[in-house]
Amino acid sequence: MLTMSEPATIPDPNAPASVLEGDLVRRARRGDLQAYDELIKRYQERIYATIYHMTSNHEDANDLAQESFIKAYSALKSFKGGSSFYTWLYRIAVNKTINFLKQRRNKHHLSLDDLDFNAEHDPDLVALISDKTPQRAANLNELQKKLNEALLKLSEPHRMVVVLHDIQGVSHEEIAEIAGCNIGTVRSRLFYARQQLQGFLADYIKA
Amino acid sequence: MNESNDNFGELKRLLKLKQHEVPPPGYFNNFSGGVISRLRNGEASRSQTTALDRFDSKSWLVNWLQVFQARPGLIGGFATALCLLLVAGVVLVDNQDGASVTAGTSSFADAPAVPADASAAMASSVSLLPPTEGIAMSTNPVTSLQPVATLFNSQQNPLFQQAGFVSGQ
Repeated sequence: MLTMSEPATIPDPNAPASVLEGDLVRRARRGDLQAYDELIKRYQERIYATIYHMTSNHEDANDLAQESFIKAYSALKSFKGGSSFYTWLYRIAVNKTINFLKQRRNKHHLSLDDLDFNAEHDPDLVALISDKTPQRAANLNELQKKLNEALLKLSEPHRMVVVLHDIQGVSHEEIAEIAGCNIGTVRSRLFYARQQLQGFLADYIKA
Repeated sequence: MNESNDNFGELKRLLKLKQHEVPPPGYFNNFSGGVISRLRNGEASRSQTTALDRFDSKSWLVNWLQVFQARPGLIGGFATALCLLLVAGVVLVDNQDGASVTAGTSSFADAPAVPADASAAMASSVSLLPPTEGIAMSTNPVTSLQPVATLFNSQQNPLFQQAGFVSGQ
């Protein structure tokens, strides 16, 4: 039985690095763009990835990520520090993405040629497409396509929970903070979304 | 809903594939720079914004058009309202004209009767005229009913003064 590595967690806000982050946020609030540039560099990949997994389009992800950082900068004065900066930033990005997706209904753009070559050597994936699935001949791109299609069939709140938890590794508590709901809602959404995904991807999942 | 009891292990493994879906190397090299330059441009343009620019006349029009874009049904409603307004305006103008015609006719009817000593031919010609012609004739009773005096008879008409030149000035 193959073991699955735990998803990477977002850094603890009380860690020393986050103390520096607080300093960066304070400087950025005073208009220091160099400090804000440092904050962007810290979170750009995670914000981008979250948006990308929700939209399945690199161009949209790039635009939305940029707009999220711009909106966050303009709203920095309203950031009270009640939550961590990254949670607050995630909330802006996720809300922006959900609004965008509502406007973009029925326009699904899939980019299937962006798969990292290293994925082919991932032992879990090799096992998944060769030993575990009934369709042994299915290649990675086909699997990728089906996976994206299945994700896009989910409603935005359900997709957000799956993306943040199962792909990005964000904890239930943090998702609840980002989505503005309680943990029970996050768990039930996650369960329902996984059930739906399991149905959509039945051909690729061994029951 | 307990994760330990669910059977989503295979699905989680499948979703792990998404973690490999990353943009090409170097994609983020200029990302933060792009955001910062956009912020700088935004700040520069904001500082150049004058009080006059704040009252941008285009903004309300753009918003208005965006409302129509969002709800196409409103366009039909707006067009119908405009047509109704136009028709109402036309009807109102027509009614006002009718009212003035009636008023003119009644004033003509209330006018003093033709003197009894008028000639029979004159009386018959007036009676044959349609009412509208009578209105046209009676629109300016001051000039039409008063006897026309000669320009040279200034004593009979005080509105006229005799023109003259003063020599030696």
